[in-house]
Amino acid sequence: MAEMWISMGPQHPMTHGLWTLKVKVDGETVVDTEPDLGYIHRGVEKICESRDFTQITTYCDRLCYASANTWSHAYIYAAEDLLGVEVPERAEYIRLVAVELQRIASHLMWLGAYGPDIGNLTVMVWCLREREMMMDLLQELGGSRMHYNFPRVGGVKRDLPHGFAMRARHKLSLFLDRIQEYESLFDESTIFLIRSQGVGYAKPEEMINHGVSGPNLRAGGVNHDIRTSHPYSVYSELDWSPAVERSSIKGADCYDRYRIRVEEMIQSANLVLQALDKMPGGAETYHEPGDPKILAKAPSRAPEGTSGSHHFEDSRGESMFYIAGGGEGRGKMPYRVSIRSPIFITIPYASKCMIGYKVADIPAIMGSFDPCIGETDR
Amino acid sequence: MTSSDWLDVRGWTESIIGWSMDTTHDLLPESIQTDFATIQPALESFFIATIMCTVVFTVMMLTLMVVPYIERKFIARLMDRIGATTSLRSLWIGESSATAGDWWNKLPMGMGSPIGFINKKLNESFGNEHHHETISRVNNRGYHGIWFLFPGFFQALADFLKFATKEHIVPKKADKLVFEVAPVIIIATTIMVYAFIPFGPHIWAANPDLSLIFMMAIFGVAPLGVFFAGWASNNKYTLIGGMRSAAQLTAYEIPLLITVLSIAVVSGSFNILEIVDFQIETSDTWNIFILPLGAVLFLVTMIAEVERIPFDMPEAEAELVEGWWTEYGGIRWGLMFAVEMMRAYAACILFAMFFLGGWEFPFEDSLSALPLIGNLFEILFTIVPGLIWVLLKAWILFAFFVWIRASLHRIRTDQILEFGWLYLLPLSIVNLVVATFLRLEVWTDSGWPIWVAPVLTLVAIFFFVIYAIDEDEEALAKSRRPYSTQTLSKAYPGSQRK
Repeated sequence: MAEMWISMGPQHPMTHGLWTLKVKVDGETVVDTEPDLGYIHRGVEKICESRDFTQITTYCDRLCYASANTWSHAYIYAAEDLLGVEVPERAEYIRLVAVELQRIASHLMWLGAYGPDIGNLTVMVWCLREREMMMDLLQELGGSRMHYNFPRVGGVKRDLPHGFAMRARHKLSLFLDRIQEYESLFDESTIFLIRSQGVGYAKPEEMINHGVSGPNLRAGGVNHDIRTSHPYSVYSELDWSPAVERSSIKGADCYDRYRIRVEEMIQSANLVLQALDKMPGGAETYHEPGDPKILAKAPSRAPEGTSGSHHFEDSRGESMFYIAGGGEGRGKMPYRVSIRSPIFITIPYASKCMIGYKVADIPAIMGSFDPCIGETDR
Repeated sequence: MTSSDWLDVRGWTESIIGWSMDTTHDLLPESIQTDFATIQPALESFFIATIMCTVVFTVMMLTLMVVPYIERKFIARLMDRIGATTSLRSLWIGESSATAGDWWNKLPMGMGSPIGFINKKLNESFGNEHHHETISRVNNRGYHGIWFLFPGFFQALADFLKFATKEHIVPKKADKLVFEVAPVIIIATTIMVYAFIPFGPHIWAANPDLSLIFMMAIFGVAPLGVFFAGWASNNKYTLIGGMRSAAQLTAYEIPLLITVLSIAVVSGSFNILEIVDFQIETSDTWNIFILPLGAVLFLVTMIAEVERIPFDMPEAEAELVEGWWTEYGGIRWGLMFAVEMMRAYAACILFAMFFLGGWEFPFEDSLSALPLIGNLFEILFTIVPGLIWVLLKAWILFAFFVWIRASLHRIRTDQILEFGWLYLLPLSIVNLVVATFLRLEVWTDSGWPIWVAPVLTLVAIFFFVIYAIDEDEEALAKSRRPYSTQTLSKAYPGSQRK
């Protein structure tokens, strides 16, 4: 067969969003790829310039529907850096609980989407069932199922509700049990192993050069997790270490990227359990919204010429917000907001990774990088 | 035919047609009676064939409706978002907002009360708080219809009506003739398969001496139609799908035919009815106990032949967006989807015919020979026609297909080629050698020696346990990549580059 270009997308099961991957194939073999992004560019950074610091949170929630809390928190830390706010310790613990629960939910969404990518729908349905438990917990915190609008500049919207800790412990222990079910569905299936092992090698050096971060990078054996390498929040007070895969000399393959996320889910569950135990004031106590123990006073205006930024370990990699204060001239609004999206940086590299493999490997490789187009196009 | 069955549809048809032909002969004027007598046998066989074709087609279409029903219900249970374990337990509950056990108790005449009782006891002894919660969520599902109409059963009919009313769209640059011919090839050859499938000892449309060979030949034509469809649609995805179908064909068709040959060797016939008769009457042993390896090979290659997961690369929806039938819509798509079900159904019936003794209940003779209740069994086997056992076997096998679909991933084209050539082909030749040896050396004219079936079955179970159930922990640990949570010194960007 002669070489031909196939345009996969913008509506294609492989894309997990709205973008196009142009693939040049020679029969079944991929010869060249070309990603084409930008279908759902909303201009979030520009919109943020006409919103005050509290209003921006809701926009950041909508950067990624699978991982809303991590994005609003990434923004909040940058805004606190800009405004110079000291966050109460209890609020930090509550944020950690919210973010790690969201990380589990996001990874479960990924695992669920990865199943159909290689032909098994059962995984998806099972993972969405587990995700439901995390969504229920997050709903108790934020009040809605997807876009929680949970953090506030200086703290959090609400304290942990009554009985949250009990329910969280119960559901997480159930989750830690059930995650073995998925491992058996994946790891003990020879077909999954031959589909994922030795497919889509990504070399650690190349990933660092391209700026790939997060689980995709740690799957290659690079111990780079913002939560420990640039500690923020209260991660340094908890007993944990980042999950790092020991990949082969050729780099990280799809199986490594699958393992690292399963491992991270277990770790996040343990982090939440630890945080609930160590929470100052105890996880069972409840403070009214606005209590100084969970929400510190924060200025609503940033002086002109100041700027704040924060690296944040998102579910998909290193996200970063850069905010420049607007001073009196712009009221309560920031002068500029800039977002670093980890997947925007990963997708071009992931597209390069699949050259030389088969057409059937395209969803397996692309899916293993966990693309999220909401944050990519912003 | 030696099998006795009161549902003698063919006999009835023959006698009715024979009587009416004789009557016609007598009513005709004297002058043309001799002419009529010369064509009377041909006319009779023509009418019998027409009627039997209609009967078989009707039986097939009616019982085919169960197949999507099984697919929907069983896979929904396996994939239930409430979880596999709970879903299997909820099978005991039924649906509609009934509490555990109540649904079964509500059935008329206390039909379900034993199951209701067992389920209640199960829930009381094993259920915990969480189970109760999730089971009650299972019960919250909607439930339309009346229990004896099998809710969801007529969904297939509704789907058909929807497809039938949709517009037929032909792509602008498609090869219009081939685009229209391809579905005809696929659908016609699949329906032709059923002409040679017996649904019971006396329910079949045609029975040539070499029906087995004809069956396998006609089964292999549909991938050609798939290739036509993939080419004619003038779409890159369908083209790749069609190519995959053609590539896959070579990998599984040869092992399949060699396996089928081994069945013919063991049974000593190329005729499907005689193969079934051999199992029921001549040897009194099902072929699955004689050729366990052949049964496994036949199952695997048949799943590949009917293109179901894990061998559904031609229509891989993840990368090819439904592959070769991307461009088809409306009733053509609906019919081709029905045809896919038909092929899977035919594969299940064939498996039942070749290996599971066709229309015989398991251990029918032994059960009838039991001292006290033997007579009861004999009455049961007399009352229930063979058709019922054939259908039950086929449906249970289809449920097995669905189970496989729910638990396996899709493999890659190069991998199925490797699998076919490196494993299936040598194994099928081994199976053929075993079959030939058994037939030539072991078979006595009175039947298999008493030790053959138990020994072969035990050997098969032994290998099954070794290879499938008993996992080698060390090999598993090797195949799993070692992973770890390392406690290295805290990293900073660039620290990994030496």
